[in-house]
Amino acid sequence: MHSLIQLSIVVLLLPLLSFVILIFFNRRLPRRGDFIGVGILGTAFAISAYIFWSVIVQTYDPAFRIAWDFTWIDLGNVPGVGPLKIKMGVVIDNLTAIMLAMVTLISLLVHLYSTGYMAGDKNYGRYFAFLGIFTFSMLGIVLSDNLFSIYIFWELVGLSSYLLIGFFFEKQSAADAQKKAFLANRVGDIGMWLGILILYSQFHTFSFEQIYANLAAGKFTLSNAWLTAAGILLFMGCVGKSAQFPLHIWLPDAMEGPTPVSALIHAATMVAAGVYFVARIFVVLTPDALHVIAFIGAFTAFMAATIAITQNDIKRVLAYSTVSQLGYMVLGLGVGAYSAALFHLVTHAFFKACLFLGSGAIIHAMHHEQDMRWMGGLRKHMPWTFATFTLATLALAGLPLTSGFMSKDAILAGAIGFAQVEGGGVYYLIPVLGFFSAMLTAFYMGRQIWLVFFGESRTHLKPVDNHHSDHHAHGAADEQHGVHEVHEVSWNMRAPLVILAVLSVFIVYSPNPLDGAEGWFMKMIKTPATVVGPANHNSSGALIQASSAPLMAEAQPAAGAHSATDSPAESAGEHASVKGGEHTFADPRQAEIAHASHGAHFTAIYISSIMVVLGISMAFVVYVFKIIDPEKTAQAIRPLYLFSLNKWYWDEIYQATFIKGSIVISKILSWFDTNVVDGIVNGVALVVKKFAFANNSFDKYVVDGLVNFTAFSVNTTGAVLRKLQTGKVQTYVVMLLLAVFGYFVFYFTRLIY
Amino acid sequence: MEHLIPIGLNHYLTISAFLLGFGLFAVMTRKNAIVVLMGVELILNAANINFLAFSKYNGGMGGVMFSLFVIVIAAAEAAIALAIVINIFKIFKSVDVSSIDTMKE
Repeated sequence: MHSLIQLSIVVLLLPLLSFVILIFFNRRLPRRGDFIGVGILGTAFAISAYIFWSVIVQTYDPAFRIAWDFTWIDLGNVPGVGPLKIKMGVVIDNLTAIMLAMVTLISLLVHLYSTGYMAGDKNYGRYFAFLGIFTFSMLGIVLSDNLFSIYIFWELVGLSSYLLIGFFFEKQSAADAQKKAFLANRVGDIGMWLGILILYSQFHTFSFEQIYANLAAGKFTLSNAWLTAAGILLFMGCVGKSAQFPLHIWLPDAMEGPTPVSALIHAATMVAAGVYFVARIFVVLTPDALHVIAFIGAFTAFMAATIAITQNDIKRVLAYSTVSQLGYMVLGLGVGAYSAALFHLVTHAFFKACLFLGSGAIIHAMHHEQDMRWMGGLRKHMPWTFATFTLATLALAGLPLTSGFMSKDAILAGAIGFAQVEGGGVYYLIPVLGFFSAMLTAFYMGRQIWLVFFGESRTHLKPVDNHHSDHHAHGAADEQHGVHEVHEVSWNMRAPLVILAVLSVFIVYSPNPLDGAEGWFMKMIKTPATVVGPANHNSSGALIQASSAPLMAEAQPAAGAHSATDSPAESAGEHASVKGGEHTFADPRQAEIAHASHGAHFTAIYISSIMVVLGISMAFVVYVFKIIDPEKTAQAIRPLYLFSLNKWYWDEIYQATFIKGSIVISKILSWFDTNVVDGIVNGVALVVKKFAFANNSFDKYVVDGLVNFTAFSVNTTGAVLRKLQTGKVQTYVVMLLLAVFGYFVFYFTRLIY
Repeated sequence: MEHLIPIGLNHYLTISAFLLGFGLFAVMTRKNAIVVLMGVELILNAANINFLAFSKYNGGMGGVMFSLFVIVIAAAEAAIALAIVINIFKIFKSVDVSSIDTMKE
């Protein structure tokens, strides 16, 4: 076993240890054992950082991959299934190393932050235990080398998400939100499991490597439609977990959980697991499946962005922003911009975690006030939070010099390239929606920054007849003391903000602020060659050979040459040479898209910069210079405003269709149950009862009759014979004589005749 | 003496039958337990006469031996029966067999 594998297993098990210690012993430990959670995560992060260092910095090889597995369950030859052997294993490649470091770092920061944010909570110890099991499951997903174990950990993160959303389970809304999240995820997971089973039924293995090798060798015996179906079903897992369009409804409600949890699970790591999973199975996705994925991603990005512009709850804006950004990542994967999507996953994780932790700091300082309408003017009181929040906001909006700019731009470039290759028309909808969402993102984040940090405090404007009667007391107190009570949070909440904000700057990822492709990230994470697709059917051994080794897009010298180019003109020359044969994609479609995306790089930069500037200036126009009054605008386009404010009425639509529908179905089933099933049961009972009554009569009259008759006849006979027994000796003598006499009569009668 | 019929087996048997008849009569009709016992003795002796008569006309000593046996047993029986009667008298203050009927029903 490779030493890195051993270390990664240690990293995986450390948070589990934290969970076990804290869940059982937190009440016996000083400070409810929070130092154990933080300490263990610190150790895990240190080891992960070492793994990251060895894999990314020292090895610096795009094809780096080590794996180890063992047979977990061997069921032998199961009838009707074939050989059933379930393996567990660990794989470490560049993506795993990056994700390991990212997950443990954010988890560590959230642990640290929570020591401040959750201080004084009555379930303080249990909170850290839950964070531990979440981190364990998330690391399990990252390290898994097969579909089966990824599914197990997938369900485990679902469970920990459920536990943490409902952490304040005394609140009805939190309990409802956790149920909603669990059920929505369940819908996706069923699809994912069916997809896993389709692949398993063909290859009798869960291992990624073996499935890909088998697919590349053309061993998939069903039609291509089945492969597309398998891809879309697997993607359903991502739809549930990453809150994509039909199942996105749970994520905004999940904000009922503690804010650090929202940062860790519902912004940075768990929701990104869906994207990570699609990236892992990227090579089995057929072009048709990728089209579905791209459209769902684009639609989600656009829809969530339009919702975010009207929300008033600070966390809900960020939640819809998360949905929107996840839509970007899914879009990126769908259009084949694999490395860009994963790049965005990582950059988004850092700046969105920073935004959530920042909003947590604001909520903490505002005494659990979450409505942005009653905030304002916090810039002076919370300078640290303001600075980090603004930096992360710029990254989210995608302003140049930030990490978000590079990753979002790479995705949009991929989308343009994709649309060009696919032949325009409806496919241009994807980049258009992407750019439009980028503008909306800039707008709603500008709005949020302004409402929260600038202007005068509006705490006193809060209506008194608020239905949160328990918060009313807080509001009144704030009014008396004024906003001066709001103060900067303590160091353990500030440090994570600063670290995350620093990680939102471009220089961490790439030396060129305009091109993420020059950075280490996109050089280490290269788009793997597909093992399916149209070319697969008529191809020969060359493709198999090419696919079995993960293909790296560009050779090292070419990348070096690229980084030297600064002007667009030189880049254009570079593109020509790319077409000349540097790309080693065996699949012509993939190669074409990669090439076209490369060509669209600067177009994307121009359009997205314009969009971002447009969005931010709109926010300025509306909220800073107050040229357009938001209230009046909302009135003027009231239907649209309400449409957005009510989240496109998805909850209502689902209420009217699926929930009502399932209630109707349950009522029908209930009717069936009461009338048919119960009828059958009652009928059987009635028959049995009748039979029992008949049996009873038989018993009573026939059997008992016989017994009683026997008793009666014995009784009667006895009564008659009793008379013979007089007790007088002489009577007996007479009887004796009579008997003897009788005998003689009998004897002599026989003698005579 | 010629007109007299010589005594034969039938005479013995006749006397024996009479004795049996008297004995049975006594057992059945008398109320005094002692008299009942006397009837029993008569019956036994009727049997003895039969044994001896058949023994005489048949030769052999089997009947004689048997009647001796019966006499011995009769003696024993008398002793036991009288003891019972004495006990009955102690309990019932009477030896009237017709009034001693506690074993009825």
